[in-house]
Amino acid sequence: MPCNDRFNPPPSLPAFPPPLYPYLPLLLSLRLSSLSFSSSSLLPIFLLHSGGGRPQTRERELMEKVESPLYQGKSKEENIDDSNRKFKQEEEDKEDQINQGREEEKPDKEATKEDDQGDNSQATHSDATSISADIDHFLSVAGSGRDGQNQSHHDPPEIPATAIERSVSLVEKEITRYESVAGDWSRKSDDLSLLDAIDRISKFSATLSTIFPSEAKYVKAKKRAGAVVQRAMSFLEEEFRSLLEDSISKPEPRSKISKCKKPNSLPRPNHNNGSPTSPETTSGSPETDPIYPPVVVEKLRKIAGVMIAAGYETECCQVFIITRRNAFNDSLTKIGFQKMSIDDIQKMQWESLEGKIAACIKAFKHSITNSFSYERELAGLVFSGHQAIASSLFSNLARGVIIQLLNFAEAVAMTKCSAEKLFKVLDMYEALRDMNAEEMDNLFTAELEGSSSLRTDLQSEISSVRSRLGKAAVAIFCDLESSIKADDSRIPVPSGAIHPLTRYVMNYLKYASEYKNTLEQVFQDHQKSVNKSSGNDTNSINNDSRNFSPFAMQFIEAMDLLDSNLEAKSKLYKDPALSYIFLMNNGRYIMKKIKGSSEIPELLGDSLIRKRSSDLRQYHKNYQREAWSKVLACFKDEGLQVKGNVSKQMVKERFKSFNAMFEEIHRRQSSWVVSDEQMQSELRVSVSAVIVPAYRSFLGRFRQYLSSHKHVKYGADDLENYIDELFSGNPSVGMKKRT
Amino acid sequence: MPATEYQGSSTPFSSIGRSILSTRREQIHAMDAGHHHDAGLDQDLDAFQRRIAALFHDLSASAGDDLLSLAWVRKLLDTFLVCQEEFRVVLFNHRAAFGRPPLDRMIADFFERGVKALDVCNAIRDGVEQLRQWRKHLEIVLVALADPRKQRRGALGEGQLRRAQKALTDLTLLMLDEKDATGSVLSHRNRSFGRSSGSSSRDPHHYRRSSGGHFRSLSWSVSRSWSAARQLQAIGNNLAAPRGHEVVATGGLVVAVFTMSSVLLFVMWALVAAIPCQDRGLGIHLSIPRSYPWAAPILSLHERIVEESKKKERKNSSGLLKEIHRMEKCAHHLTELMDSIQFPVMEEKEAEVRQGVEELGRVCQSMDGGLDPLERQVREVFHRIVRSRTEGLDCLSRYPE
Repeated sequence: MPCNDRFNPPPSLPAFPPPLYPYLPLLLSLRLSSLSFSSSSLLPIFLLHSGGGRPQTRERELMEKVESPLYQGKSKEENIDDSNRKFKQEEEDKEDQINQGREEEKPDKEATKEDDQGDNSQATHSDATSISADIDHFLSVAGSGRDGQNQSHHDPPEIPATAIERSVSLVEKEITRYESVAGDWSRKSDDLSLLDAIDRISKFSATLSTIFPSEAKYVKAKKRAGAVVQRAMSFLEEEFRSLLEDSISKPEPRSKISKCKKPNSLPRPNHNNGSPTSPETTSGSPETDPIYPPVVVEKLRKIAGVMIAAGYETECCQVFIITRRNAFNDSLTKIGFQKMSIDDIQKMQWESLEGKIAACIKAFKHSITNSFSYERELAGLVFSGHQAIASSLFSNLARGVIIQLLNFAEAVAMTKCSAEKLFKVLDMYEALRDMNAEEMDNLFTAELEGSSSLRTDLQSEISSVRSRLGKAAVAIFCDLESSIKADDSRIPVPSGAIHPLTRYVMNYLKYASEYKNTLEQVFQDHQKSVNKSSGNDTNSINNDSRNFSPFAMQFIEAMDLLDSNLEAKSKLYKDPALSYIFLMNNGRYIMKKIKGSSEIPELLGDSLIRKRSSDLRQYHKNYQREAWSKVLACFKDEGLQVKGNVSKQMVKERFKSFNAMFEEIHRRQSSWVVSDEQMQSELRVSVSAVIVPAYRSFLGRFRQYLSSHKHVKYGADDLENYIDELFSGNPSVGMKKRT
Repeated sequence: MPATEYQGSSTPFSSIGRSILSTRREQIHAMDAGHHHDAGLDQDLDAFQRRIAALFHDLSASAGDDLLSLAWVRKLLDTFLVCQEEFRVVLFNHRAAFGRPPLDRMIADFFERGVKALDVCNAIRDGVEQLRQWRKHLEIVLVALADPRKQRRGALGEGQLRRAQKALTDLTLLMLDEKDATGSVLSHRNRSFGRSSGSSSRDPHHYRRSSGGHFRSLSWSVSRSWSAARQLQAIGNNLAAPRGHEVVATGGLVVAVFTMSSVLLFVMWALVAAIPCQDRGLGIHLSIPRSYPWAAPILSLHERIVEESKKKERKNSSGLLKEIHRMEKCAHHLTELMDSIQFPVMEEKEAEVRQGVEELGRVCQSMDGGLDPLERQVREVFHRIVRSRTEGLDCLSRYPE
């Protein structure tokens, strides 16, 4: 980015001449600097301080930071055309009507300039370092003084105003350098020393205010430091936001992440509160929610730490919660979940609503299995050491999401009952059911006492929506009964085939049976609530239930209704034989559906299934009786003899009438349909088994009485062939004589 | 006004309602709701009208200076819950009549209005969340300008002031954003205490951010195109006082339906008036004949709220809630004060700021106790509407005759 594109520091800021960026020494470790330092009044402080000693890791960290390549281009940037900047700045100031604070800053800055010019020759590497050391020491002594008794020899050392000013200016300058483009610092720099510096000043400023609330010599320093701290916090707030908004990305494969880690990678965050997993673990999941790389998380953690320590907790949390909320909303949208008003959902066509429900369920499941755990982890890492903040941020987010999804579910439960909605409603019910107490425990662990009501509130919301969905499911399922009853068309299905109602109801029931466990639960709950509200004791219902569950009873009820409806429909056929074929066809279809399911037999029980089988056999017998008893009557000996002798004429008539009857049956019944192959062949075989032997024997007994074979149209084998053409659904083209 | 005064009231009221319901259950079989002119029905309906009237007289009387305060809004919701409960009893006792035309259609209309009210409830819940967020910004001001040791003098630093100013500016933007989504130009200009917006005008991304856009879309439950004004209109759609022949044909039951529909519309309207929510608009027409005993208090409340909304200082407010007004005044006052401050700060000025902060603290306190219970109540209203609708539909389908 070209330098003049940036918002550059006001020209009134002191320009630092040394070739090495002067901020750098500030970051050097204390011991290093104390060796090279040899000047006036500050020396004892350093000795004191180095005696106090800081953890070694700190030193190493600082050493590493010095190596950061970031500071090398600085002096070049400093040389940008000043007048150009000045012009720009003036314009900006005019624009910024509220920005009076900056104007007020100027006198201070002028003063700084003077001070700096006074010290200019000494503004060396080691000098700047000493300031930070002074401040650290000041803080540590002041801190110990505050902790224990305020003993006189622990009084914090004095720090010259110029030194404070310099250190503050350094931070201010650095901020100015970065603040023109949000995220510039956090994105480009892996060096977090600026944070340390801000932290130091902020602590220093706070300590000054508490220890010397009115000491004259620090008044100016306090004011100056306070202003810069404020500016720094504002800066950090924007960096924090920028990091949160822009540094999130699709997770790379794990190996890649570890490769691109810098060798001088940051120290691992302190898992004070035992969050053993890092965000990396989440990246292993198949769903690809964007996540923050560990480096970014670490930066966020540091910024949050500094802001909270400076008392800017509210600002920090606001930025965090709002960014994460928006991100979460975006990801819900990506899954396909859309905000819709309850009113709109009521008006929506089922076809479109169905898709939305699927998306909502997906969003819900995804949130619970993936997103929530990531969000909790993220909050825990970024606000590590501030468990209360982390869990309140997370639970607020989770609450918002869950409420949103519940609203949708609630709206669906309220839509008009219709049969096709059952399965989607049950899907939603299941999704909510799986969000059980254990799941909630996992999500809201380490909740504080105060916010436990949030959990209970949510839980009761979830269970109330769940029970409404359950009620809707019961109502829809019971609605099946009325739609079966309502189907009273007077037109018989041609050819005795399977009625569409049978197909519909059985497919529906089979599908429903796949939700057996859920439906059992739903019906059980429903019955409980009915019993409770009507004040009935459960005994009266148990008597009735014959060991069937409420759902099974409802299921059986639906099947009984279907049976009686089919019974009524069978009466629509004029030919009673066809009625039985119709009943057989439908009965057989129902039976196949029952046997093809693993759940329906459990619901119905063996005895009901046995009864169905015997009904089917009965239909078969009835068919044979209705269709073939007259034919069989042709083969009787009675009526063929006249005065003890077989009458040729009578035999001839018998054959003629048999032929006509058989042809008629063949004509009609070959157009009838028995779609089940097994049943079709069973029927044919059973008809043949009765008719063919009887015919054969009849032929054997009476053929001799006929002079010509004209009236014996069919041989016994022909008959069998013709019988094999029955129930094929092909209207016969007429019988050809087979020779 | 102690916020807890009304806190528990929804429970005892509703249990009164429930006990009425259960004691009357026994009488149901004895009662022939099919006859329109039986004394029991007339008595029931009279009692219902009187009860509603008494509730709203009470609400109206208690308003006074308290009108549109958090406590009052909560009382409004309590009143609604009791009305809903009373209506439930009427519905249950005369369910046979409600299953027949023309009442079946009227009650279906009422349930339809209820469904629309649910969206208002959700939007209001978002609004309460919004208030919480505003409260957070005030918290920043309080923290920034806090004076933990009263004796401390002259400690009001530039940093503190700037921080408070930034929080107030953000708050103003938030409130503006709520009012007017196109306020971004203004916001852009005003946003000054964070970072310079020098580069923003070229960069749409930053432009969005500097407009305070990052605070928005806090609304969880309603879509961007949803409008409270339109929703209110939908609730009130075709709501007219029943005509004489309708009253006769229904044995007066239609009056109860009209009463409850009007109560629903008024309560939702008042909520939208008080609490920030998407696309507010108070232009609904309440057509309630004065002859109803509850008409006077409702119309008077309506009128007073409309008056309030027309006041110059409240015209552009994002909610008529008293606490919002105090908040706005306080924030405005503090902003002006701080804008006028010269360094070093005069003691006099500082004292003024301290005073402003104290007032702000009181405003915050008044909100703190009220928002959570308010949200719960809104939720309760939601659930009761759903429940009464489900029960009602259940009841009507189970006992059609």
